[in-house]
Parts: sequence; C-alpha cells; structure tokens
Amino acid sequence: MEVFWQTLVAGVLKGGLYALIGIGMTLIMGVMGIINLAHGQLMMVAMYLTYVCFHYLGLDPYLVLIISMPGLFLLGVVIQKYLLNPLLKVESLLPENQVLMTVGIGMVLTEVMRFIFTSNYLSVKTGYSDATFFIGGVSFSVALCIAFFFAALLTAAMFWFLIKTDLGRSIRAVAQDVEAASLMGVNAERIRTMTLGLGAALVAAAGTLLLPVYYLFPDIGGPFTRKAFVITILGGLGSTVGAIFGGITLGLAEAFGATYIGMDFEDMVGLVIFILVLLFLPGGFKRLTKV
Amino acid sequence: MRTSRLWFVVLAATLALVWTGGALAADTIKVGVVLPLTGKQAKFGEIEKNSFLMALEEINGAGGVNGKKIELLIEDDTSKPDVGRSAIEKLIAQDKVIVIGGGYSSSVTYAMCAVAQQRKVPFVVNTGSADKITEQGWNYIFRINPPVSEYPKGLSTFLTEVVKPETVAILYENSLFGQSGSKQFSAQCEELGYKVVLKEGYEAGAVDFKPLLIKVKAAKPDMVYMISYVMDAGLLMRQSKELDLNPKLFVGGAAGFTLPEFFKNAGDATQYVFSATLWVPEVPYPGAKEYYDKYVKKHNQPTEYHGAEAYADLYVIADALKRAKELTPEAVRAALVETDMMTAFGPVKFVSYGKKTQQNSLPTFLVQWQDGKLETVWPKNVATKSFVYPVPEWSKR
Amino acid sequence: MIKPRLNHLIVLLLLILFPLVVKDAYYRHLMILVLMWVTIGSGWNIIAGYTGQVSFGDACFFGVGAYTAGLFAHKLGLSAWWGLALGGFTALAIAFPFGWICFRLRGAYFALATLALNEVFRHMATIWESLTEGMVGILILQTFVSKVPYYYIALALAVASLLTIELVVHSRLGYYFVSIREDQDAAESIGINTHYYKMVSLSFAAFLTGMAGSLYMNYMGFIDPEVVFSLHDISIMAILVGIVGGVGTIYGPAVGAFVMVAVQEVFRTAGFGALRALTRASGWSFMELVTKYVSESHVFTFGVLVVVVILVMPNGLVGDWPKIKRAFGLGRSRG
Repeated sequence: MEVFWQTLVAGVLKGGLYALIGIGMTLIMGVMGIINLAHGQLMMVAMYLTYVCFHYLGLDPYLVLIISMPGLFLLGVVIQKYLLNPLLKVESLLPENQVLMTVGIGMVLTEVMRFIFTSNYLSVKTGYSDATFFIGGVSFSVALCIAFFFAALLTAAMFWFLIKTDLGRSIRAVAQDVEAASLMGVNAERIRTMTLGLGAALVAAAGTLLLPVYYLFPDIGGPFTRKAFVITILGGLGSTVGAIFGGITLGLAEAFGATYIGMDFEDMVGLVIFILVLLFLPGGFKRLTKV
Repeated sequence: MRTSRLWFVVLAATLALVWTGGALAADTIKVGVVLPLTGKQAKFGEIEKNSFLMALEEINGAGGVNGKKIELLIEDDTSKPDVGRSAIEKLIAQDKVIVIGGGYSSSVTYAMCAVAQQRKVPFVVNTGSADKITEQGWNYIFRINPPVSEYPKGLSTFLTEVVKPETVAILYENSLFGQSGSKQFSAQCEELGYKVVLKEGYEAGAVDFKPLLIKVKAAKPDMVYMISYVMDAGLLMRQSKELDLNPKLFVGGAAGFTLPEFFKNAGDATQYVFSATLWVPEVPYPGAKEYYDKYVKKHNQPTEYHGAEAYADLYVIADALKRAKELTPEAVRAALVETDMMTAFGPVKFVSYGKKTQQNSLPTFLVQWQDGKLETVWPKNVATKSFVYPVPEWSKR
Repeated sequence: MIKPRLNHLIVLLLLILFPLVVKDAYYRHLMILVLMWVTIGSGWNIIAGYTGQVSFGDACFFGVGAYTAGLFAHKLGLSAWWGLALGGFTALAIAFPFGWICFRLRGAYFALATLALNEVFRHMATIWESLTEGMVGILILQTFVSKVPYYYIALALAVASLLTIELVVHSRLGYYFVSIREDQDAAESIGINTHYYKMVSLSFAAFLTGMAGSLYMNYMGFIDPEVVFSLHDISIMAILVGIVGGVGTIYGPAVGAFVMVAVQEVFRTAGFGALRALTRASGWSFMELVTKYVSESHVFTFGVLVVVVILVMPNGLVGDWPKIKRAFGLGRSRG
C-alpha cells in the first residue's frame, strides 16, 4: 500500500510542476493557435538565468522568480513581435509556418546557450534540494512541495487575471474569436505579443522551481515541450483549470505507469493518453467543465 | 527552368570547394579521430579530444613516428550513428587516413566500425563499450577499453568475498550501453547465485525516479546496481536518500558514477556509493598520475577514465605506426595485432577470448565515494583506503 | 502527360553520370543522402504541401520501412533487398491506422497527433526488444561495398517520387488534394470524399517514405529506434526539406533536399575541409578558431537558416524563386 501512496504523492507533486509548464503553452495555443515547439527551450533559458543568479549573485531560486519571470516575459515578447507576428502577414501556403519557426527558434536558443555555457551539466544545490519530510511512511520532497505551492499560486493568479482584468479578458476574447475581438477594439497583435510573453514567464517559473531538484544542460528543453502539449491537449486549449487537471493527470499517469507497468513505459503512458484524448475527447477537460 | 540553373551553380560551387578542400599534402601521417563534439555527449567528447591533443603534442614533441609527425583529423559524430558514418567515410575517402581512433557512444561506434571494417581501415576503439563491437569477427577493429560486461570485474570478487548478497536489483538506462550492460550483469548474477529481484530500464533524463525506487524499496534487495549516466545517477541517489531506501549497498556500473559531476550534483547522497571503474589516477600504471596532473593544470578541469582512454589510444596508435612495415592501413593493422605495451590507461594487448576478437583485457577496480572523494577500495593491493561496509542507513548518518 | 523538358533531362543526365565522374566515396555518400531526402521530402509534400495536412510524424513510415528491411535480414535470414521491395507496403499498412487516428483532427491538432504517434512508434521500437532488438539496433552487412549501386537505386527512387508527384498533381487526384488543402469543408460540401482522398494522399507519402527507409537500412547497414524514428532528424527534417525547397511545388523537395544536406555537411566539416586547408595554408591561428566555430555551430546555423527562410521565403526556394530573383536584381517576367 505504501507503494501506492508514494506513487500518488510523486505523481501529484510532479503534476503541479507540469501544470505550470502546461498553462503557458495552453494560453499560447488557445490565443494564437500555434504549437510553440520552443516552449521547453524557453524553460531552459530561464533555468540558465536562475543558475547564473544563484552562482554569481547568490540568490535563492525562489527569489530568482522575480527575475526569471519578467526576463522570459521580455524574451517572449521580443520573439513574438519580431519573429512570429510578421509571419501572420506573410503569404504562405501552409499555416504551420509558425510552428516551424518555433522549431528554428528552439534550435537557436539551445545552441546559443551551449555556446555560452558549453554542454556541461549544471546544478543548483540549495539547503532544501534534498530535504524531505515523511507522513506515514510516505516521503514528500520539500522542494517539489514548494514548487507545487507556487504553481497553485501562479495558476490562481492567472485565473484571476484572465477573468477579472481587462487585459485578461481581451486575451480570452482573442482566443475565442479574433475577428470579433478586433471589431470590439482589441489590438490582436499586441495581445498576441503579451500572450507569448505571459506563456514564457509561466514556463520560466516552472524552470526556476524545477532547477533545485533536477539539473541543466542545453538539450533539456525537448522532452518538456512534448509534455507541455500533452497537458495542453488534455486540459483543452486556453483553459487554465484544464492545464492543472492536465498536468496532474499526466503526473499521475506517468507515476502509476512507471510503478505498475514499468519505468520504460513512463513516456508511452502519456503519449497514449494523449492520443486517446485527441480521439475521444477533443476539447480536453475544458469540454467537460466549460471553464 | 530556373531550378536547374540553381542546381548548376550550387553543384559547381560545391565541386570547387572540393578541389580546394582536397589535401594540401604535407609530410605527416594522417590519423583520424571521431568523437561527439556537439550534442548531448559533447562534454565527454571534449575531454577525449583534449586528451588526444595532449598525447599528440607529447608524441610529436618526442620526435613523432620515426621522424614524421602525426596529424590528427578530428571529426564530430554529433552523437548520431549516421553522422558518425559520414565522418568515417570522409576521413577514409577524402582525408585518406590510415588509422582511426575514438568512438565514444556504443551505438555510434558500432555503426562506424562496420564502415571501417568494410573499407579496411583499422579502427582502435577507446570508449564504445557494447560487447557486440568486438564480437563480429572484424579484423580491422581493435578495442583498448574493456567491454561493458567486464566493467564489474573488480566488483565480483568483492561480492563473493565480502558482501555475499542474496538479492539484486538492476536499474539501467534505455540505451545500447544500458540494455546490453544490464543483460550481462544479470547473467553474471545468475551464475554467482544471486537472485535478480528487479530489472528495469528507464528513459534517460527522467525527472522523477521515485516510482521506480519505491518498487525497489518494496523488493528489499541486498544490492542495487545501476547503469546510468551522470545526471540520472545523481538523481537516483538523491531520490533514494529521499525515500530512505537502504539496500546493503549501492553499486554503479562505472560511467556516471565515477565522474566529479556525480558528487557535485548529488552531494552527500553519494556517500558510500560503490562503483566499478576502469581507471583512477592512482592506478599502478606509469604515466597515469602524470597524465591527470598535466590535464588538470592545462585545462583547469578534472579528467577521468574517458580521457585516459583517449590519451592511451593515441599512444597505442603511434606505437603501431612505428612498427608498421609501411604506412598503409593493412600494414598498420598487422602492427596493431602485435601490440603489447603499457600505457597510462593500463597494459594493452589485443587478444581473443570467448566470442571476442582483438579486445584488450584489463582488470577493473572498485571505488567508493567517501566524503566527496572517489577512493579505490578493491582489490586490496591497489586500494587507497579501506572500504566502508556494512554501509550505515541514511537516517543513521 | 509528362512533358520532358530539356533542363530536367540535362539534370537527370548529370545525375546519372555523377558517380562515374566523382569517385570520392564521401561525396557519393552525400548525394545518396540527398536523393533519399528527395524521396522523403516528396512524400511529405504530397500529404502536407498539396493536401494541407502537415504531418510531423513521417518518421513512422521511414522507420517501419527500415525495420522491415532490417528484420528480413536479421530474423528471417533473407536478403534485406526483399525489405526494399516490401518496405513501402508495410509503411502503407501503417498508414491506415495512422490516418484513422489522425485525420479526425485538423490543423494543429493533426500535427500534434502525428507527433505523438511518431514518439509512440519510437518508444515501442525501443521497448519491444524481442522484435526490434531495442537500442541494440539491427546491423546487417551491406551487399555492395561500392556505393555506386546504392546511388542508382536512390536515384531511381528519387526520380520515381518526382514522377509520381508530377502525375498526381496534374491529375484529378491532385485537384482533390489541393481542394482539401484550401478548404476542407467546402470540398466536402461539393461532394468530395475528403476522408478517402486524405487517405490516398497519405498512402502515397507512406509508401515513398517507407521505401526510403528500407533503402536506408540496406545502405547504412545499421539502424536503431533513435535513428529511424527520430522526430528531429527525420520528421522535422522532412518538413524543413519541404519548406526550404518549397511546399506545393513539384521540385521544391528536390531543391530542399540538396540545400539541407549541403548546409549541414558544409558547416559540420567547415566547408568540406576547405577552411581547414586554408588554416594550414595561411598558418593563422585565427583561422583555426574560425574553423572550430564554424564546425561546432552547424546546428546553430541550421536553426538560423530555418528562421530566416520562414520569415523571408515562406514558400521555399522554388516557390519564392521570383522573389529571390527580384532581390538579386535579376527580375524577369517569366519564372
């Protein structure tokens, strides 16, 4: 039974972090309809930023959130403004150009970081990196719990932002119907720029929170991008609550898959669920909850 | 049609580059080396490249090969088998090297050796460790490092004499290195009469090993044996500590467990972890310590067994070149067969045994992390410190 | 009917003569890769460029074709050439469930589904060791030591792909494909069975890509799941070949294949060793640094190329050729 509870806890905690990664992407996909295949690379950049702040400025990663989130927000804005928005004006046969652009951007980001930091594996060791506490024989990682807490906080903040603020409502409007929103006076281009910035800031938070319990090297982005879109599809495009569900579901699926089927099936479980959802529940959780 | 004009122009330009890029012949002996210089394994590729270059400087500085200097042509396999093959093709066809060294990743090395064998150019492998590589009867392929199945050699006497475990859990990464290594170790355990209670693979780069480790904990093995690269090794140990997983001992199958990054990443979770290893600076081979010190001084970074393998590889190649009757691949091959020398990595003599051909057979050692230092603990005659066994549980440290 | 144009025949002749003129195994190897990518890129172009279904999972077909060839040799002891013949068909067989799963979805969802399937295949190949030998891979000895026979087979395959596209595009099928691309619902509403035609399109893509996969197995002699089911190196590369060359054009993938392989190798080898030779000749240590940076930045350059091409030439070299000519001041009315 202990195995079951430990697996559950592992899945939920990991899920919290996944949710944070997913919210960023679901926002981007919901508003702009593009799959940001550089999402993981944005996270990677945030992690390097965190590393630098930790090692050279002595800042605790949780403090670095104040730096990494705005930092990546800016990066997202720049990318959208100069590389992605122009694409919308370009005449091309396939709308998927944007996706491919993100592939290129991801490659460039990875290589630039490799150039600066080399391929060395880096890690950040804090006092709480390995700290755990036990409840009834089940081990809880302190760092992951804190990450979960922050993820919940940020998600709630996102939720409030989208529902209560003007900017948030504009974003949702663009996600629902770009033309109608524009007719109502919303500057769609600016909204898109903001959205990529926000998405980047959120995944930056995920990266900063993850670094104490993981490690860092330039190629770390890919697998996280894949998880991000699984979560996005699970939760439904543009739905923050959906991303939470998606993240936790993925975390649990991976954990239970790893324990009860085999760790080499960990990624497969997520992919299979992904395909099943695509087939049978195309709107994701959002469809079920209408949020 | 414009497209074809474009083709013409590009084709012509390429051909022009070909002829300029072609050999500006110098009176040197060309040796090719293929390593992962970019991509995930770039770090090790770099250590090996630096070691090759260090050896090159020393060999050429001491008069080269019968008066001629060696020219090292280093190609990047980008950690991919097909790029590795391209690289070998280029080295052989374009650069006309007469012998090749290197080979880091098992799967890339395997693919590259097939090409070298077909083109009849000798390849002296120094790191790729899957057993298969020297089990194909390829007479142009030589390997100075032990195959992955032999990594735990130093471990087995320790197990039979000191530990005598009854149950073993084996964890491994899903790569050629991990899959073949775990199969071999599992077979060895069966032979020694230890029961393998869990044998599971994982995708390298996992964030959370707890689901796997919980299962290990539930299976209560005496020994946990892991074949992992350094960051997975670090997380495995940290998370084992977090779960309070206490087998009688943790043993790593070399690779990630012996690198300084392991300690940097996992800190005190590395305490008392054993590992098989192929080489430490304190091995009783002449030149080992000097190589280590010189590398550290020059590059401001530590080196480890991969670097020693690369360093020795060039010495082996140079030695064969000196003895070769003429500077052709066939003659170099014949000279390699007769190799019998000592290097900083250990003695090198290519023998055939079991299914293997032209394989160097070396003892391996058992090391243990003690207070952030990797101490050689077994066999006793080369130990720098005595081993700590039984190992105290996590909570009692 | 296909009207053979003089330019095309000249290029074909050059290609046929290539191995007779160029004896260097390395360049022959590169050309074989180029031709292989022409095939794969053309396959992708049919389903994506012409039918508008941008697949991120063509590696599935490639890998299945490769493993078909490999397993024929490895498990059945037959010549891997049987695999070459059948690789296309097994890939075709895979196309049906692939399409069934993915075609229910549109646009970005479709792309994601294909991506997910790609990864599923890769994982399955890695885990299912009893069938595929997992990460140990399959190694076979090549039938021919010389590259020449492989070159001609690759050439034949590439020519066949281009001819196929030419035939399809100028036929009714091509018409239907494009109508699906432009507006699937409108097409459906005028009575075109979009599901059926999407499957037909995918079948072409799968068959061609599968054949390329089996050729790869026979030629390279070694495959493992990471190589042949690679999302980045096969699926995304196929897309890039198509995009850089020009989607929805017949010869786009051909040009794209050449450019992409050339760029990769030119940078990886620093100009096929030209920079290295320059370094030696000039003796400047600065050149050495340049050489080092150029060869180590090949991925970076690749990424930059992708970004630039998409921004500036979204219809690829062939599609935007008039634009390019204008940029170089060579504007002429007939392109």
